[in-house]
Amino acid sequence: MKLRHLVLAASAAVLSLGLTAAPQIGAPAPDFTVVDTKGSSHSLRDFAGKTVVLEWTNHDCPFVKKHYQGNMQALQKEMTAQDVVWLSVISSAPGKQGHVSPAEADDLTASRNAAPTAVVFDESGVVGQAYAAKTTPHMYVIDKAGILQYMGGIDSIPSAKVDDIAKATPLFANAAKAVLAGETPDPAISKPYGCSVKY
Amino acid sequence: MRSVMLLLLCFSWSAPLLAATTGWQSAKHIRAELVSEYRQVQTGQTLQLALHFVPDEHWHTYWQNPGDSGLPTQLSWTLPAGVSVGAIKWPAPQAIAVPPLVNYGFEGQTILLSDLTIAADYQADTVPLTLKVDWLVCEEVCIPAEAQFSLTLPVATEAVLAEDAASLFQQALQQLPQPLDAQGQFDVSGGAFSALLDLPEPQNVRAFFVAATELVDHAAPQQVILNGQQLLLQQPLNTYFSAAPQQLEIVLITADGKAYSVQLQRASNAGTEILISQGQHDPTALWLILLLAGAGGVLLNLMPCVFPVLSLKALSIAGGGQVRRQQQLQALWYSLGVVVSFVMLAVLLIALRSAGAAVGWGFQLQNPYLVALLVYLLFALGLSLSGVVQFGLGLMNSGSAVANTGGSKGAFFTGVLAVVVASPCTAPFMGTALGYAVSQNAAIALLVFVALGLGMALPFLLLAFVPGFARVLPKPGVWMDTLKQWLAYPLYLSAVWLLWVYGRQSGVDAQAALLIGVVCIAAACWLWGRRQSSQVGYGSVILAAVLLLLALALPAIAPYKQNNQTDTITAEQSWQSWSAGMLSDLRQQGKPVLVNMTADWCITCLVNERVALSSDTTKAALALYDVTYLKGDWTLRDAAITEYLRLYQRDGVPLYVLYWPGQQPEVLPQILTPDTVPQALARLSRQP
Repeated sequence: MKLRHLVLAASAAVLSLGLTAAPQIGAPAPDFTVVDTKGSSHSLRDFAGKTVVLEWTNHDCPFVKKHYQGNMQALQKEMTAQDVVWLSVISSAPGKQGHVSPAEADDLTASRNAAPTAVVFDESGVVGQAYAAKTTPHMYVIDKAGILQYMGGIDSIPSAKVDDIAKATPLFANAAKAVLAGETPDPAISKPYGCSVKY
Repeated sequence: MRSVMLLLLCFSWSAPLLAATTGWQSAKHIRAELVSEYRQVQTGQTLQLALHFVPDEHWHTYWQNPGDSGLPTQLSWTLPAGVSVGAIKWPAPQAIAVPPLVNYGFEGQTILLSDLTIAADYQADTVPLTLKVDWLVCEEVCIPAEAQFSLTLPVATEAVLAEDAASLFQQALQQLPQPLDAQGQFDVSGGAFSALLDLPEPQNVRAFFVAATELVDHAAPQQVILNGQQLLLQQPLNTYFSAAPQQLEIVLITADGKAYSVQLQRASNAGTEILISQGQHDPTALWLILLLAGAGGVLLNLMPCVFPVLSLKALSIAGGGQVRRQQQLQALWYSLGVVVSFVMLAVLLIALRSAGAAVGWGFQLQNPYLVALLVYLLFALGLSLSGVVQFGLGLMNSGSAVANTGGSKGAFFTGVLAVVVASPCTAPFMGTALGYAVSQNAAIALLVFVALGLGMALPFLLLAFVPGFARVLPKPGVWMDTLKQWLAYPLYLSAVWLLWVYGRQSGVDAQAALLIGVVCIAAACWLWGRRQSSQVGYGSVILAAVLLLLALALPAIAPYKQNNQTDTITAEQSWQSWSAGMLSDLRQQGKPVLVNMTADWCITCLVNERVALSSDTTKAALALYDVTYLKGDWTLRDAAITEYLRLYQRDGVPLYVLYWPGQQPEVLPQILTPDTVPQALARLSRQP
């Protein structure tokens, strides 16, 4: 019998190694600690009790530029007005496209009239990998209890043309509104599109 | 003069109308042209149009499934009524890595073909085409690029080929994946995309590309397993996977660079044969597998087929003298013998496997002649322990002063012998480790086998190196000789077991012939022993040699019948012979089936059968749930059973699989208790 337990334990160990740390809808969102442009550090735990939106961004990416023609700023203003914490995450490694200094980031926020709660830096890419962030833009919505409720694209038409925003289904906006209303978004997963995150 | 100039100008204007290409255009980081296959077309014709483009060096565009990021190239056509264009025929893609992401696309010169169809009742005398192309061109950063092309093709009674475009179209056709007439199914359960294809002929596939977006994790390693004409593919699912289509296209790339395209259907719930044992498709940590292999090796020491050799070794250590250093050296040589034998077996297995032979882990006992030789060997060793003859291997001369090299050589060959006899016993740990090892590349497979060998040699290393252990060994004395003679009997018993296997393999007549051979060996050994004690002359030596030759020849010429599986079905029998056809028939009828793959030389199998499968509780459960019990005998080589084992990533026996209608096939553990099968059946019957 002891042998059998050994076999079972070994199999369990083998199986558990197979579980990756991929983010899952309905499961607690991976915790993180990041530093913003002012130098203060933020953790996901700090925002317990508030809805959190994560937006992966890279100001030079044509797809990000498409949405920063007004769409992203409008979404940011609408969400932060409803007490949502909006974090724009820059996972670009130093020397890669999209990597900026804190001062440059603040300039970009001002010049583009953006309204995130904070712009945070993830130079090592740890947070991006934990969330399996692949593209810029890539959107996540985490509810008040810290559970991941939406991950994926910002809308339904993957292109770099501004005109397509009006024709597309605003998947992220619908999901965020659903979470704020206490409902589950449908769809909760969608195809993220954009430039690859420059880890 | 002026009118001539005007005429010339008119000609130069009209010339482009007759050309089959729009000429090169430049967009951001890319230049392109639209080329028609025919310079002049006719009604009712279908011809090809090629979008030929070259991005800047190191820049790339994307395939229909761009991978983790990126956008496929989009073509939007403006066509007159009665003219239509088909979907893009994509060339075979490449994987472009942008760590940690992977995209699928094209670098360098790329040609996208589309079919243009002109209706039979098309009235106008030209076909004006306008094409707007949107690319996403990326190096590390991405730039959207676009271009617009206009092409007008004249319509006439006869179609005229564009000769200068012929080579371009030929090149494009070569780059297209060839459609393969293969049956294939895919499934997305278990966290992975799994596909099973029946190829018309075996192809050495090394990679595959899934055309559906957001289905597979493009950066994750792919599993490609080929048995004969069946191809098994697997890749973990994408994090953003939500729903799988009913049908999808997959592009297979072979080792020599050819590309094939296959259409796969979604597998229906009942009757899917695709199962990879859980947890295996993720790259399990190598160290854990090695640990399991080592533990399996230790376990091998307990198997009845190894134990007699173990006794030989223990004796050798006990008799090796008080010199601990000598004991340690012998233990090291033994370990070396064990490890080297495992490695040789692994090398042989890998070589044979790549040669395509249907072999598995216990293959050396599937050849009757080899079994006969082993019988002789074990019997002769037993005789030497009994004192009939002394062999110069150093094993038997426990009392006398043995040369160091003799002792080491003896220890080395004891190790080799232990492995040869132990290998068919696929112990529980070994099953998983072997299945993993053989599916990996040669280097990892060898490592696993080395770990197995080290595990097996571990007890002796401990004996030799840990003082506490050695102290447990008694001091040498007369008892050693008695012990030596006692230890002959386990060897004789092993010989009897192998005789039984041989009899099952080749029939009773051949077994009788082998027994005659055994008697010859006994006589030869006795004569040789008398020679060693100088009691007789050379005549006896020659006689001994003749007897030996006779013994060796007998199994080769003995009449032996193939193991007939069908003649053992009687009314009493609770099981039937396995065949792939019977299994699929039963499953299609919706009946539960228990499949047991076993072999005569597999001790674990026999133990399981006695302890668990023949027990009353199991028999009752099988009867209660109306389970058909199929047994597959792998004692001799059987290609069909080897393929079946490979489906479940196993390379040896035992393998127990329980099929319940409406559920995935369940692989039972390699060590069965009387409750395993009844409990599994109860659980499966309760599930909806």
